[in-house]
Amino acid sequence: MDETQTRKVDIHVPVLARVEGEGALHLRIRGGAIETLTLQIYEPPRLFEKFLEGRSYEEVPDMVARICGICPVAYQISAVNALESLFGVGPGPWVHAMRRVLYCGEWIQSHCLHIHLLAAPDYFGYDSAIAMAHDHPDIVRRGLALQGLGNDIMSLLGARSVHPVGVKVGGFHHAPHPGDVAALLARLRAALPESEALVHWAAGIVVPDDDQAFTCVSMRDATEYPIHRGRVVASDGLAIDASAYDRHFAEYQVEHSTALYSRYRDAPYLVGPLARLNLNRDRLPDAIQQLMHDTGVTWPSRNMFNSMLARAIEVHYAISEAVRLLQDYAPVQEPAVAVTPRAGVGYGWSEAPRGLLWHRYEVDGEGHIVAARIVPPTSQNQARIEEDLRISLQAFGLQHGDDELRLHCEKVIRNYDPCISCATHFLKLKAERL
Amino acid sequence: MTHVAIIGIGSPAGDDQAGWCVAHTLQRSDWPDHPSCQVSVIALDRPGTRLIRYLEGTDAAVLIDAMQGGREPGAIHRLDDPALLGQDTLASSHGLGVASALELARALDLLPETLILYGIEIGDVSFNAAPSAAVRHAAAVVAAMIEAEVAERWPCRMPLSVAKTPEPSLHACGSRER
Repeated sequence: MDETQTRKVDIHVPVLARVEGEGALHLRIRGGAIETLTLQIYEPPRLFEKFLEGRSYEEVPDMVARICGICPVAYQISAVNALESLFGVGPGPWVHAMRRVLYCGEWIQSHCLHIHLLAAPDYFGYDSAIAMAHDHPDIVRRGLALQGLGNDIMSLLGARSVHPVGVKVGGFHHAPHPGDVAALLARLRAALPESEALVHWAAGIVVPDDDQAFTCVSMRDATEYPIHRGRVVASDGLAIDASAYDRHFAEYQVEHSTALYSRYRDAPYLVGPLARLNLNRDRLPDAIQQLMHDTGVTWPSRNMFNSMLARAIEVHYAISEAVRLLQDYAPVQEPAVAVTPRAGVGYGWSEAPRGLLWHRYEVDGEGHIVAARIVPPTSQNQARIEEDLRISLQAFGLQHGDDELRLHCEKVIRNYDPCISCATHFLKLKAERL
Repeated sequence: MTHVAIIGIGSPAGDDQAGWCVAHTLQRSDWPDHPSCQVSVIALDRPGTRLIRYLEGTDAAVLIDAMQGGREPGAIHRLDDPALLGQDTLASSHGLGVASALELARALDLLPETLILYGIEIGDVSFNAAPSAAVRHAAAVVAAMIEAEVAERWPCRMPLSVAKTPEPSLHACGSRER
């Protein structure tokens, strides 16, 4: 057929204004094959790189926390890791443990939001969590309760759950009160059966059988499941320190998007919960490894549709890890060590809920930021998402109508939980059939 | 005990702080304690479904948020039925938008008996910019409207108690007038 058909899906224009972006997918099909497939993702961190220039290192944790309303802790921890490594600061075991707890809170709230409000409705045939809540109120309530628990962990250590302000270069601004810790610890313990039930529930959801080959990239620590310290490894055997990141992972510009893409050895790669689990199962407690085994899924998994289950497993792990770290809690007099800035370049990273988040700061002798670079997980996954969409759409069948194609694309994209996760509920699809 | 929650919603982006401006103005109001009524004034940053937690257990809630309805910045909208917002107002890339969070709360039977929504029409939403004079003025007007309405509608009347939360206050509106 020679005739050009351009069908556009109309998108509801929202009344209430928030200022974040939405995703747009442009698909050109010629002769029954995909000619071009481009995904546009809004990318707030780039704006911040310029914004940080000239600021004092002390301002950085609070400023980068504002990049993302869902994963502020990830931005803070990657930043302090970079700056502390440059300044030669070791904040000690108490700070290490409490940052890990704080980060667990972020994983819990982010993953629960994703599972219950974004991903699960797809698999139960609902067009939204609201529709699902009518029929499965207990599931949604459990999800919201666990999400709230994650928020409360963040409030305990970050003073507030959105844009937390507790973290500073050298440690924390304050140590939580033991009474507050005890109260939260009791709730965390009580939630463990709930999070374990969440894993069983997620494992019971039937997902498409979609085996794909891809390289997994995540942090890896000598003993712990990776959250905020360790090296970075890839499923092909790579193992590097943060300062070597940009020698192995290249960012590049593409014509269709203002976002930067990343590639490793000239190919797309995966970061995020499934990559973490695939590379670090042996760092989980025995009981959780057994739980993973009991799901019936073969690990490591090459099916991106197991991402929702991977998030559920990490929720359960994060709650049990927070319990472990808080059960012998004692406050310290000085929750931070002294910091003396020095000129140079610092590199740091951590495992954001969505995957590896790398920061690089060039700092002058007074501790002012000369240049900042932030590589967020969503942009690292972008090339992989496009690759996955090409494979999945071809397998799904390009003869389907725009609405069906769009729904399928949303499902595929949501596996990566990109920053446009919600917006993909109304993914702008421009399909040209040539 | 009647519990009325006044919740200003926003983000640190120029006029998108409209809801926070209202909350901060009302938090500064000198409202003494009252034994039978509690009014909490909260500012939330893109709460998504966290909004539901702040609605739970309240008898009435007044929400203030930024709106884009095609009018000039500073124009004030008032909705007594949040269903008018429509269902899929998923404007945020992170979590559900306010309309969807309210719909979810309704599905889970967690909405307060009375829900009032004020919208302030916004213009520039540059990150870290102060809200415009038009929006600051509208926020002051809305704060006065809410203060008067709360005093008139609920049997506790004034005086009221104000619970402050440690939630965001990037730009307290009044302090950014310069």
